[in-house]
Amino acid sequence: MQKQKEFIKVIKENEGIIFKITLVYSSNEEDQKDLYQEIVYQLWKSFDSFRGNSKISTWLYRIALNTSITYLKKEKRNGNRVSLNSVLSNKIDQLDTIMEERIKVLYAQIKKLNTIEKGVILLYLEGKNYQEIGVITGFTVSNVGTRLNRIKQKLKEQIIK
Amino acid sequence: MELEEMRNEWQEMSKKMERQQLLTDKLIIEMTQEKYKNKLKSISIPETVGTVICFLSAFYILVHFNKLDTWYLVVCGVFSMLYLIILPVKSMRSVKKMQRINISNKSIAQNLIDFARSKKQFWLVQRVGFYLSFIFIITILPISGKLLSNKDLFLENKLWYFYVPVLIVFMLVFSKWGLKHYKKATQSAENLLKELE
Repeated sequence: MQKQKEFIKVIKENEGIIFKITLVYSSNEEDQKDLYQEIVYQLWKSFDSFRGNSKISTWLYRIALNTSITYLKKEKRNGNRVSLNSVLSNKIDQLDTIMEERIKVLYAQIKKLNTIEKGVILLYLEGKNYQEIGVITGFTVSNVGTRLNRIKQKLKEQIIK
Repeated sequence: MELEEMRNEWQEMSKKMERQQLLTDKLIIEMTQEKYKNKLKSISIPETVGTVICFLSAFYILVHFNKLDTWYLVVCGVFSMLYLIILPVKSMRSVKKMQRINISNKSIAQNLIDFARSKKQFWLVQRVGFYLSFIFIITILPISGKLLSNKDLFLENKLWYFYVPVLIVFMLVFSKWGLKHYKKATQSAENLLKELE
């Protein structure tokens, strides 16, 4: 019961992060709802391994990104799904009013990057430093730097087009 | 706009967005429970049904094995039984391995390596199974003829002039589609591994 309470608290505090990740990694609303639910499930599954062992944000980003990268590729959507319509639609509405036009363009361009690049740039935009990105992704600090430079270049070219 | 500026704007947006908490306790619990039920269903139903059918067929051949009265029918019987037992087990194991990738406490790079490897392994099993199915079709036909209607199809021209050519044409059409899928899937796994280099 205590575990459940702690978990609910963590999810509520970080629902925005999960939402942003699902937005980048899914191509339509159905996929997004499914991915959102899968991430929450995977977080619950690994909640025990997190408690006290690592920084909450590291754990959460790792699980959410890993789930996003592998889930949509390997699973067919089946079975019942909890209705997230109202939650996600409200979030999207809010996002529309909150987001500046420039961020919308950026979001659209990020979606065009490859799987790994999406994760790296997302972590960078979320304010993570090279070292933190390295811990979450498993890349060395210099590799993170190289990748980010490449992504910056790619984004610039895409936005200019 | 420079990426640095975008980063600042992104974080401004995030702050505003994260203030809005829309998920309820009930919804969070329901999400995990529903997903858990779905997982059990998606793993068990199709794979179990397929495996049970194969095992029952193998068992049927085994029970009536004494009816296979020539050396070539015995060879066909042994091959068919092995095919019906080994392949579903191998296939099920590779699917489960892919599904069971434990994403907790693993870096993204490691997770991707595991995923790409298991995906390649899965498709290798599918490919081997696919080629063996050509032989299986040829072995299961005379077995069925013998066990179901006590006919030795090897002695009937119909087997060679009709059943086998029809099935081979069918398999060739199917193989084109199957191999295309195989190539695409293994290529994407390889690309993923290359991206990590």
